Amino acid sequence: MNDQDLARAVRDSAATEATAPAFDKVWANAELSYFQSRRRYAWLASAAATVAAIVIVLNIATPPDDTINFIEMAELMDSTSWTAPSDVLLPEHQIDLYQDLPTLIESTKPVEGALL
Amino acid sequence: MRDGDALENNPEVTRSALEAIHGQVFGWALSRCYYDQAAAEDLMQQAYVELLNGNARFDNKSSLKTFVFSVVQNLARSRYRRLASRLRLVKTYEATSFEPAVDMTDPGLDSEQGKRNSEIWQHVQQLPPRQRDIVELVFCREMTIEAASAVMGVTTGTGRVHYDRAKKALRSKIGELQ
Repeated sequence: MNDQDLARAVRDSAATEATAPAFDKVWANAELSYFQSRRRYAWLASAAATVAAIVIVLNIATPPDDTINFIEMAELMDSTSWTAPSDVLLPEHQIDLYQDLPTLIESTKPVEGALL
Repeated sequence: MRDGDALENNPEVTRSALEAIHGQVFGWALSRCYYDQAAAEDLMQQAYVELLNGNARFDNKSSLKTFVFSVVQNLARSRYRRLASRLRLVKTYEATSFEPAVDMTDPGLDSEQGKRNSEIWQHVQQLPPRQRDIVELVFCREMTIEAASAVMGVTTGTGRVHYDRAKKALRSKIGELQ
């Protein structure tokens, strides 16, 4: 069996074109689907544009708050506090560290007529 | 310059050119949908929508027929891949040889020729998918091996190998019938 006979045998065994639906019908459905999706996208785009326009208009319509709020220094100082970790060594904490000078031992070794 | 019935988003494609290949494209869509007529109609409609909205843009690099067949093939592939992954049946899907939803052979199965045609078509359907596709494209849709390979998304060399293997397999099977 050569290629042509084989091709003819296969071609004859399949008859598919007879069942094809009318082109106009399929094309009309495709166009309907295409235009519907286009309308849907157009609607979404217009909705997004409207929301953006509303936001811009609201931003423009609302006047900016021009009042300057200064910080009161006294209020600021009252609201904060800080203590150094070494504050516990200060005299007010009643700890006798370095309040009296320690007594040093006197030297008994003379050098050139004087004690060191 | 666009033709009168050229598509807005696909200026190289005309409605009349599509109408001329409609029957053949439907045959291809039918075979992509395991001969489910409604699914094939839906697939064709989807292919036309892709042409209308310009997602599938024809640029005259191949014939219009090859291009539209490729669009149908790609849509069918993505559709059945989605379906298969959704049902988690990929392995079964590939392993199972699908039974056509309708008998696509000529009427008159009572006759000797009808029976023979039915048997030949069954042998075509039992070929591995790529071999089956190239046989259908070359024998039934009158495409060249180059165009058929382009539709299948393989190189011409690979297409030729599938074509030769398919012919050998079919010759031996059909030889057994005689």
